[in-house]
Amino acid sequence: MNMNRRGFLGAVGRVSIGAAASVAGGAGAANAAKADHIPKWGMVVDLRKCIGCQACTVACIMENDVPEDAFRTHVSVYELVKDGQDPAMVMLPRLCNHCENPPCVPVCPVEATFKAESGEVLVDASRCVGCAYCVQACPYDARFINHETQTADKCTFCFHRTQAGLLPACVETCVGGARNFGDLNDPESAVSKLLAENEVSVLRPEMQTNPNVYYIGLEDVLSGRVAGEAAYRPAHTAESVAHAEGV
Amino acid sequence: MEITELVGAVHHAAWLPWAVQYFFLIAISTTALLLALPGFVMGRETALPRARLALMTAVTTGITAPIALLADLHQPGRFWEFFAYTNASSWMAWGAWFVPAYVGLLVAFAWAVHRPAFHAWGNEDWRFAKLFRWLSLGGSANGFARPLGIAATIAAILVLTYTGAEVYVVRSRPLWNTPFLPWQFLATGFVGALGVMLVLERVLTRSAGLEAELNRRLALWLAVVGALGAAWFVVAVSGISPRHSEALASVAGFPVWHTMATWGALTVAVTFLIATLAPARSGWATGLLAIHAAWMFRWTVFMGGQAVPKVGSGLYDAMLPTGIEGLMGVIGTFGLWLFLVIAYTTFIPWLEAGIPAGGKPAAPARPANQH
Ligand code: SF4
Ligand code: SF4
Repeated sequence: MNMNRRGFLGAVGRVSIGAAASVAGGAGAANAAKADHIPKWGMVVDLRKCIGCQACTVACIMENDVPEDAFRTHVSVYELVKDGQDPAMVMLPRLCNHCENPPCVPVCPVEATFKAESGEVLVDASRCVGCAYCVQACPYDARFINHETQTADKCTFCFHRTQAGLLPACVETCVGGARNFGDLNDPESAVSKLLAENEVSVLRPEMQTNPNVYYIGLEDVLSGRVAGEAAYRPAHTAESVAHAEGV
Repeated sequence: MEITELVGAVHHAAWLPWAVQYFFLIAISTTALLLALPGFVMGRETALPRARLALMTAVTTGITAPIALLADLHQPGRFWEFFAYTNASSWMAWGAWFVPAYVGLLVAFAWAVHRPAFHAWGNEDWRFAKLFRWLSLGGSANGFARPLGIAATIAAILVLTYTGAEVYVVRSRPLWNTPFLPWQFLATGFVGALGVMLVLERVLTRSAGLEAELNRRLALWLAVVGALGAAWFVVAVSGISPRHSEALASVAGFPVWHTMATWGALTVAVTFLIATLAPARSGWATGLLAIHAAWMFRWTVFMGGQAVPKVGSGLYDAMLPTGIEGLMGVIGTFGLWLFLVIAYTTFIPWLEAGIPAGGKPAAPARPANQH
């Protein structure tokens, strides 16, 4: 299945007519296209196109009802000054990598976090005890405790949307077209082609998590813990303290 | 290259000060139980005064610890799921089985040790006799105390293993992901336990001999703590282990970490010196300093460790990441512990606890053929 933005929607248009019954019956539209094909969702972020507008950050918050003091995705912005050169602004959209080898999964004491068939790493909020062990284990700070639900929370690759044949909200809204989403199991998908045609990298490869989020044009100095200065850290407000306590 | 993070997300600590309290109290409890063994399991008469304080320490901290742990869960009402859906690959899931087993066996062991005194108090003619008759379950035999003590010890070792491993396996935090950590938890656990025992000794028994003995043991464990800390530092500086070098590099540039490291090292050194030079006159000081050192080690590991961003720059709020309310959790658990100590010393004939029946090793004074 072709899963760049236009291709994805085109495919959905075809599927949603032919498979309306199976969507109503709970089967994913994407899977319905080919009964035996199981997609493996992945994202390729083309950093050359990201303008740091944070439209994805906002779209994710709106789509997923993310509480005030947390993010499922956001765009880190850095100023890099290479020797003798002018400062450059560099963007880095961050989200859960839906790792192939996710360290957040084996630590969960109650098997509330798991890897879905199509590759998404998800949390069963009805089972999660809120121990936050997974939050500690994720090497990307991609998880947090949602202080409204008191359970672990993270990017789901918009599971509810892909199940309905839609793109994740951040991809849908990406102004510069930097975020590409699709089926890594399909060699014809836009993401597979981007991977084949470009030099890509992942964040913190030394962690051996095998991320399913790839970056085109990632500076080496930003791929790990960024050894830079944090320009601004807001002090804790009374409200954020109350959120952080949460018990 | 100079890098400045202009936009980044702040991650609040997900393990709250309750977790610090739990790791602090459970380490004290398990190591205190080990300190009670020579008296109550191996049957060494001379070790009894120490064993009595050790058992009191183990029981009171052992009951408080799981309450702090439960409070650290964001969904405490779902704790039963730990038992219904145990995930064998998670050390925390194993801990959910080890901790209740440990606390149950510990309380049963303490009860068995005190049973003869419960029985004796129940047979006296006084207001609470009925309560103690009930507490003694109508008998004084406690031959099963030793096996219970051994079982509790095994559970304590399992708890020490899982608490160390649970934190050690977190690769994403280089400060935690060191094989030194479980041993540091153990050694600082002994320091904390001996600190609590010294303070209890000053309040309750005031025997210079016991004070000096506890101080000598404290000095020994402080030396172990110092050696482990120095070994960690040497490994990190030498570069033989990239993981340790990364851990050091992640905090080395921050003045708050310099202060914490200097403070910790000075506390250990000063306590060691006092305990060595004036073992019979310094119980209050060394006891409180030892408690402070053991607690601060965990605060630094957990709260300080969570203040190091995994991908972002700088540090998150390190010293008091959850504000005054977080501190209230700390004060609350200490309050509960204090209440339990008062209850223990009021209702348990702890000074009369002797060597359990069958607990004495076959002594030459009582040849085997007389049995
Ligand atoms: S990025 Fe973090 S939360 Fe997402 S799968 Fe990997 S380890 Fe788990
Ligand atoms: S917070 Fe929830 S999902 Fe994460 S490890 Fe604990 S129980 Fe599992």
